[in-house]
Amino acid sequence: MTIIWFLVILFCLIMYIVFDGYDLGIGVGTLFERVPERKRHMIELVATGWDGNETWLILLAVGLWGGFPLAFGVILPHLYLPLIIALFALIVRGGSIELISQTENPPQILTWAFGIASLVAAFAQGFALGELTSTAHVVDGVYTGSEGGFPWYPIVLGVTVAFGYTALGYAYLKLKSEGELRVSAARRGGVVAVVTVVLGAVSLISIAGTAAPLNLATPGRALTFWGLIVFALVGAVTAAVNFRRRTDSHPTADLLPFAGLVVTTVATLLAFTVSHYPLLVPPSLTVNSAVGPYNTMVFLLVGIGLNIPLIIFYHWFAHRTFGGKFRVHETPQARTSILTGASNER
Amino acid sequence: MSLIDLSRWQFALTVCFHMTFPAITVGMSVFLCVIYAMYWRTKKPVYLQMFRFWRRIFAVGFALGVVAGEVITFQMGLNWGIFGAKTGPIIGPIIGMEVVTAFFVEAGFIGILLYGDGRVRHLTMFVSTVMVSIGTILSTTWILAANSWMQTPQGYTVQNGQYVPTDWVAAIFTPAFAWRYPHMLLAVLISGAIFIAGISAYYLVKNRSKGFARRSLSIALGVAALLVPVQLLVGDGLAGNVDVAYQPSKLEAIEGNWQNGNTGWVIFAIPDQAAAKNLVQISVPWLGSAIAKDPTGKTATPGLDNTPVNDRPDMAATFWGFRAMFFASLFLFATAFMSVVLRLRGKLWESRRFHKYVLWTTPIGIVAILGGWVTSEAGRQPWVVFGLLRTSAAVSKLAPGTVLFSVIGFSLIYLILLVAYIVYIVHTVKIGPERDDPRVTADLTPGATVESESAAPVELTPEVAR
Repeated sequence: MTIIWFLVILFCLIMYIVFDGYDLGIGVGTLFERVPERKRHMIELVATGWDGNETWLILLAVGLWGGFPLAFGVILPHLYLPLIIALFALIVRGGSIELISQTENPPQILTWAFGIASLVAAFAQGFALGELTSTAHVVDGVYTGSEGGFPWYPIVLGVTVAFGYTALGYAYLKLKSEGELRVSAARRGGVVAVVTVVLGAVSLISIAGTAAPLNLATPGRALTFWGLIVFALVGAVTAAVNFRRRTDSHPTADLLPFAGLVVTTVATLLAFTVSHYPLLVPPSLTVNSAVGPYNTMVFLLVGIGLNIPLIIFYHWFAHRTFGGKFRVHETPQARTSILTGASNER
Repeated sequence: MSLIDLSRWQFALTVCFHMTFPAITVGMSVFLCVIYAMYWRTKKPVYLQMFRFWRRIFAVGFALGVVAGEVITFQMGLNWGIFGAKTGPIIGPIIGMEVVTAFFVEAGFIGILLYGDGRVRHLTMFVSTVMVSIGTILSTTWILAANSWMQTPQGYTVQNGQYVPTDWVAAIFTPAFAWRYPHMLLAVLISGAIFIAGISAYYLVKNRSKGFARRSLSIALGVAALLVPVQLLVGDGLAGNVDVAYQPSKLEAIEGNWQNGNTGWVIFAIPDQAAAKNLVQISVPWLGSAIAKDPTGKTATPGLDNTPVNDRPDMAATFWGFRAMFFASLFLFATAFMSVVLRLRGKLWESRRFHKYVLWTTPIGIVAILGGWVTSEAGRQPWVVFGLLRTSAAVSKLAPGTVLFSVIGFSLIYLILLVAYIVYIVHTVKIGPERDDPRVTADLTPGATVESESAAPVELTPEVAR
């Protein structure tokens, strides 16, 4: 049961990183977009999905709380600052995006707040993941403090994740947009994806210097790890190549950048899991030492586990309703003007 | 301020900020669902106009409620890691159920509710509004179950310092839940209705969009008139059946007496916790006994001296939290009562003075709910899980400087967002529902639209409206 629940939590983490990754990434993209209409278009695209995407983060937190209560009580205080900053950013982001999409002419400060908060959230999340490799002091299951020192590894991972999310964001934009917005997403996305791969390689090598180096002692682990890394690379190369391609010569050129990056993200996360399992936080907090009591695990697996197919359905349904290319004139604001024209014809 | 005070302030700020939004949006989601059903059945443009306008008010409140709620979940571990580790086996799965049965449902359909208008069929729109309101109500249910376990814990055993569930039915359906759940559900429905009534009254006062405003006001006040009297009974039952039986210390602090023997009801007090006396006190004779259902005036209210010093909640917070809720509920009752009288006399849409009163009491339901939560949570102190786990033993051992940073950060962000929200509401209300009128902005729903691929006739005819 421990392993099943651990996999459920890992699944939530992957879903969160892929889905909120793309919408945080589009948010970062708005910072570098000069044309107001395109900026607006990008924000509207995020507005239809961010709420559902962020729900995976809550399920991740609550899944950890119920299934591994000791880990919840240690990891969160251990990552206090980056998580608090990520939360600050997510609040500002959620508030500003709805204010923007419900207002005809939103003040500039809101769009800036949205973009900056997206960037800060992405960096802080990477930072938090990176800090999982630093030592937490635990006495009798109670967190008593963290190992000090300059947090260089979290910074490296924070930058990597910020670039990775941005690449996902551009890939999603290429998939969902048309015209010049798609062209610029393709151009920028290709560059960001290549930078991400380089940063990813740096993170991979430099993790050896942390308190939680890769554990590839058994051949099984080493083989799985390197296999997954190969997958990740293949995904990234596919994405980088297809960012450049046009749909008239390659019909799948809009889908493959996003699909490739999703493969990369999933494979990388699995690779890190394989190389650390069952360790959660160094030196000694493991999955088995933190697992909740039997009655709790049964309740979780039945109550929440059985609901997971259903929530995947909701998630799919919400994305499907807004499937296909997302068009500017479908936005609620633009609709007014289009319609006034339409009703005049009548 | 010590670490524990900082962490408590941070939590109090977060929950108060969060609670403001569900107090508006839960009731409003049900309202939207009813309005859309009426539009779908009658095809009257005014209902589509109502749906579109109230949705604007709903959307931003919903988003702010979601993000602030997310923070609460994280704070259970960030600032209250020991609480998180000890109660996780029971409260974790309950909140988990909230996430899968409420949050994902809301998240799956909110996008359609907000942006689907014109892209999807009427049925899909309607189902989405229903799903979103079911989500908000289920969310209320699970949260009340989790919080009620902290008030009257049962169905657990203690293993290695953790509270381990032995009987899930008992742990979810606690004695406190039985009363607090209906109390809260009624509260959010009423505060949502009062909020809608207040904004509608503004248009009546200003002589704008009367068809829109009259219908909104009428529905909202009808709901309030039905629910407020029930709520007064449920609230009384909650005090009598939960506080008296399980949390006498909370009741003593609510009543505002230190010594036993007062048969009056304290209407105003400035308590001095350290000296265990009230600096100033105004007490209405006989009323305390009467509230305890003894009209002879002989039953005295117990004082906080009955509770050992270390187990006493802060009287000022509990007393004033309750007074805020109680005095606000008197306004609510007055609104409900006057609306029935005016309705029977056929003057509900005419009485300008009443509309002005309703406009000024727009946020009164939210005040009542916040007051109620202060009573409930401050009155539970010094325990975080009543009788089991002290708040001081549940706090994460963080550097106070770090927590100070986060308290300041949250305070600033909440303040800015609250101001932005109020500015947005005022701005939206001033623009008004005119732009949402389907005679200006047609219904784009497939089957009802000129742009539709099917050759369905245009459903909106001008004479319906004028």
